Amino acid sequence: MPPENNAPPITGRGRTLAPEQTLLSVRGLKKVYETDGGDIEAVRDLTFDLGRNELTCLVGPSGSGKTTLLKCIAGLLEPTSGEIVLDGKRVTGPPKKMAVVFQEYGRSLFPWLRVAENVELPLKNAGVPKAKRAELVAEALESVGLSHVPRSYPWQLSGGMQQRVAIARAIAYQPEVLLMDEPFAAVDAQTRADLEDLVRSIRERLGVTVLFVTHDIDESVYLGSRVIILSSSPTVIQEDLIIDLPDQRDQLETRALPRFTELRHHVYEQIQLAKRGFRPDEARLG
Amino acid sequence: MRRVLVATAYTLGLPILLILIWWLASLGATSIFVPKPGPLVAEFFETWMGDRFFTDVLPSLARFAVGTALAIVLGALIGLLVGLNRGLRDFTEPVFEFFRATPPPVLIPVLGLLMGVGDDMKVTVIAVGAIWPVLLNTVEGVRAADAVQTETSRSYGIHGLNRVRYQILPSAAPQILAGVRQALPVGIILMVISEMFFSSSGLGFSIIQFQRSFAVLPMWGGILLLGLIGFAVSLLFKLVERRILRWYYGLKDLQNAS
Repeated sequence: MPPENNAPPITGRGRTLAPEQTLLSVRGLKKVYETDGGDIEAVRDLTFDLGRNELTCLVGPSGSGKTTLLKCIAGLLEPTSGEIVLDGKRVTGPPKKMAVVFQEYGRSLFPWLRVAENVELPLKNAGVPKAKRAELVAEALESVGLSHVPRSYPWQLSGGMQQRVAIARAIAYQPEVLLMDEPFAAVDAQTRADLEDLVRSIRERLGVTVLFVTHDIDESVYLGSRVIILSSSPTVIQEDLIIDLPDQRDQLETRALPRFTELRHHVYEQIQLAKRGFRPDEARLG
Repeated sequence: MRRVLVATAYTLGLPILLILIWWLASLGATSIFVPKPGPLVAEFFETWMGDRFFTDVLPSLARFAVGTALAIVLGALIGLLVGLNRGLRDFTEPVFEFFRATPPPVLIPVLGLLMGVGDDMKVTVIAVGAIWPVLLNTVEGVRAADAVQTETSRSYGIHGLNRVRYQILPSAAPQILAGVRQALPVGIILMVISEMFFSSSGLGFSIIQFQRSFAVLPMWGGILLLGLIGFAVSLLFKLVERRILRWYYGLKDLQNAS
């Protein structure tokens, strides 16, 4: 029942695009952690492209190296082999055109800075003039619905609001790629629905490309225009799935569509397969 | 209003009670070594708030201020360097432990021989003795920098001096200030002791002079003054700390309440 992709990828690989459509390329990415107890191969071989203004979700069983992959793309971890290319330039450290939203908002926001100061800090560091900074901060806070609390400390706000601050900080930085590492795993269900819609509207309005890591299957299908399913560790791509739901999504209506249920089913099955140790690369070889 | 009165009563209650007990206990005393509250206060103003304030008290306070300020600045700087550099940390740690374990007053005779008996020796004694709590706490505070905060800094291109300024120093501030809190009394102790060894002015010098000449009340007055100075210094510190660490205490209160 997998839907037809435009260009069906080779098993174990994700979709690759023509250079002019591509914003971010991951090629043969491999990451091995060297520990005292021996090497641990977290990510074996990942290849895929992200197109401009795409919202791609990355799902996989726990321990499938989702965070490792994200950190490699963000330039926070150095891959063992393979490469990441952003806009034609190879990523060797955190690129200027990228912003990361971490799961642990409470630790990612600086508790000694007020909300507006947190949003402003990356701009201040980059030497953006003061007036321009104020403008960007106000816009970013406005777009996440937090214009009323610029002088609060982040820890005075609820979890969902704190994550909004972190998102505002990322937006104000004006990235081309927004990486989100299970950003809503620690907020309650209702807040989460609001934040999901916020992410979709941000992508639409600002034209950013979003890579969204989650362990929540519903969330991945609801949010993404594409879902990349990772295998169990050592990680390869199990499936690269186009989400052919209407572009206008609505928490109630979209989730009630039969197609939503089908896609959700499919992703669920794939992850169950991955958990049982099915590997597309082995299936290919043997 | 009522609450303010109650708070004041709580704060002043014990000091008043203690003075009352002291007054009662010394009512019938005849020994010249036992001070009485009334005469002591009179003597205190006469001895310490006159010329002596400028010839002894202020110079002592100046040496304390310069020595402790040096200890704080150097301690935080060295602590920052050591805390950020693992190799340097392994290299210096045993030596630091040794110096910290050495009682600072033993430095006085040594430094007195090496540097003479002037102000620079006393300032050095204070700085060298008071630096350790600041330095070691700063190392710990810097080392404890949160991994997610650090990744956030890196992903937004905040590195080098900017990272120290925007992330490391503020996040280590509670620990650095805990070190400063410990350093202040050490500074006062060393200020007094360094003057007791070789000096011709200062609080420590005067107190020893009075003791040797059986000027018991002025001596007690000096002790009272030292107590008051220590009290004022810690009060001032608390004010500054509350200001710098407002976020930290707010966060703590919130965590304790939930």
